[in-house]
Amino acid sequence: MTKRQTRFFFLGSTALFTLIFLGLTLDSHRQFVNLTHVDQLTPEVIAGKQVWHDKNCTNCHTLLGEGAYYAPDLTKIAEQRGDAYLHQFLKNPSTFYSEEKDRRLMPNLNLEEVQIRQLIAFLNWVSHIDTNGWPPRPLLVSGAFPGSNPSKTDQAAVSSDPVALGEAIFRQSPPGCSACHSTAQRVQLVGPSLAGIAQRAEQTLHDPAYHGKATSAEGYVRESILEPSSFVVAGPTFSAAGHSFMPDNFARTLKANEVDDLVAYLMSLK
Amino acid sequence: MRFRSQRVAYYYFVVALLLYGLQIAIGLLSAAKYLGPDPLLHILPFDRAKEIHTNLLIVWVLTGFMGAAYYVVPEESRAEIYSEKLAYAQLIAWTGMGLVTVTGYVFGWTAGNKLLEQPLPMKLIIVVVMLAFLFNIVMTIWKAGRWTTTEGVLVAGLALSAVLYLPALLDFDNYTVGIFYRWWTVHLWVEGVWELIQGGLLAFLLIRLSGVDREVMEKWLYVIVGLTFIAGILGTAHHYYWIGVPHYWVAFGGFFSALEPLSFFGMAVYAYSALRRSGLSHPNRLALHWTIGSAVYSAIGAGILGLAHTWPAVNKWTHGTLITAMHGHMAFFGAYVMIVLAMITFAMPALTGKEDEQSSALGMWAFWLQVIGMFGMTMAFATAGIVQTYLEHILSMGYLDTQHKLAVHFIMLIATGSVFALGVLFFLLDFFFIMVRAPRADRGVDARGPLTALTPRGAEAGE
Repeated sequence: MTKRQTRFFFLGSTALFTLIFLGLTLDSHRQFVNLTHVDQLTPEVIAGKQVWHDKNCTNCHTLLGEGAYYAPDLTKIAEQRGDAYLHQFLKNPSTFYSEEKDRRLMPNLNLEEVQIRQLIAFLNWVSHIDTNGWPPRPLLVSGAFPGSNPSKTDQAAVSSDPVALGEAIFRQSPPGCSACHSTAQRVQLVGPSLAGIAQRAEQTLHDPAYHGKATSAEGYVRESILEPSSFVVAGPTFSAAGHSFMPDNFARTLKANEVDDLVAYLMSLK
Repeated sequence: MRFRSQRVAYYYFVVALLLYGLQIAIGLLSAAKYLGPDPLLHILPFDRAKEIHTNLLIVWVLTGFMGAAYYVVPEESRAEIYSEKLAYAQLIAWTGMGLVTVTGYVFGWTAGNKLLEQPLPMKLIIVVVMLAFLFNIVMTIWKAGRWTTTEGVLVAGLALSAVLYLPALLDFDNYTVGIFYRWWTVHLWVEGVWELIQGGLLAFLLIRLSGVDREVMEKWLYVIVGLTFIAGILGTAHHYYWIGVPHYWVAFGGFFSALEPLSFFGMAVYAYSALRRSGLSHPNRLALHWTIGSAVYSAIGAGILGLAHTWPAVNKWTHGTLITAMHGHMAFFGAYVMIVLAMITFAMPALTGKEDEQSSALGMWAFWLQVIGMFGMTMAFATAGIVQTYLEHILSMGYLDTQHKLAVHFIMLIATGSVFALGVLFFLLDFFFIMVRAPRADRGVDARGPLTALTPRGAEAGE
């Protein structure tokens, strides 16, 4: 090989691969429309992206797995936590975590009301991007889930037992139930632990403070999924002013049979 | 030093090394924040410390590249730099930009885009300075009417760096599209055109340190940079897998980024075979160490550790964990920090007129402490990243709970990071107090006195 030949190898291969790269880029632009739901790219979402950049969020958090590794990934946070929770959280993050326990704290960004709404709209848009299946399993902010077996999620399709199907849905994201609710005794994440929920549902029905429509424990569990604010369990990270932080859109996002399975699973937690 | 105007390089090296020291101090602080709790939460929270750490790296390495180019180009083209004044003016503007940007970060003035956090006015200054620099270099070569492949590859790398910075000036409404083009700058810099710079500098150093025939070295240089682009251009796709792109990028990224180690292994073999023939006889042992070190560490850090998590079936689990930090730290140090330090240690004896002086013991300590410290840091990030991947991404344990389990690895990170920082401190002491000393009186000093102009006193007097 002479120097002339190796120079030709360098220039030729570089030109060829640059062309292929540019071609794929053009095709990607054609597909971004569907993959990223460009029709939902509202001015509010775009303004939220600006807040994301202005507040330097990416230098602690990852989004789509990109950023810094100092704080949780936020790709699916909007569907895991829901508007009400995120809204309250962004007003003052330190009320949701403690520096003694977590060793890290998110500083208060002093966001205005409108910025909080924009940021949540942006994170909600991000959570719907087609990411080629990433993350393969839900990435959660907190919780150690003793005894849980995440691989059950992968096996859900082969079972027809409603309790098993319900548990699989419980651990999937969306709906991301397990991101906030533990199923272990006394393990409190940001929502109440659901250990023994079947008995507690029975007790709640007879609680004079309960004014919901349910007449059975099963009915109460179903109501709590579909209308979380109809009865609120007391707790600093559960609700504010009688409104639950739990997402209230499961009536729309879950299918009727999925709700049935979830209820069956939860009623098995005795 | 054969050309008087090469002394410009010295001032670039001074700025680069001061920023290097600052970068490492802030890096150590950031590592401590991982262990927590953080008493500086309301003064310098993690996000700001981290962006200062990474931006200082980019600024000082580029400063080092420019200094190296000002040293290499006159020697290769056998001519004085086109305009020495422009070179100094450009350095002042560049340093000012760097300091304003970093100060801005402390107060929250940021574009908040990973590695491209520079606010738009600062980005524009970067473009202007880069263009002035390229103008000066190209005019030097033009006026000399002579260019070599070595400097051609180096200058092509620098010019393409400027071109690839342009997408960073754009703002996209669609976050996914924004990330897509951000990697045009970041990936195609560090896994593309910066490898041209590394390759060019490596060839320059090897030709001089080993005395191997230039024709042979430059022939293989073309092969290495050719491999870099074959793998590196489509290898960009390994950053695209999970950000909202068509699925074919996963296949392209997997295949081509698996080829990326080739050019780094090529460089390691290149350095080894060149130096084996000369038998490490060159008196500048320190420069030899940094040169071989760069070839070896970039093969491990960028080559092997990059390959370790680039395959999609693996990356699916490791994406977004400290595994990335493991690869990033060793790759950047091996490929770019070490090659700049190799250039500095190679050029300094010539720049100070002490060409036959042996490398100092302090300089060798600086080398080994940095090499060992970085190895330890890489191991700390790797073990932390493996545990994080398993607990958080595979078992779905919560992020915060997982981080608790990583505390022991963060302690290891701080310990090995301190060893590394000590090495950097030794390098700075060696540079500022041992390498830079007025030449001895019995040594023949150039009649025009370029050597004395390099001593601190002479520098103040200036010309």
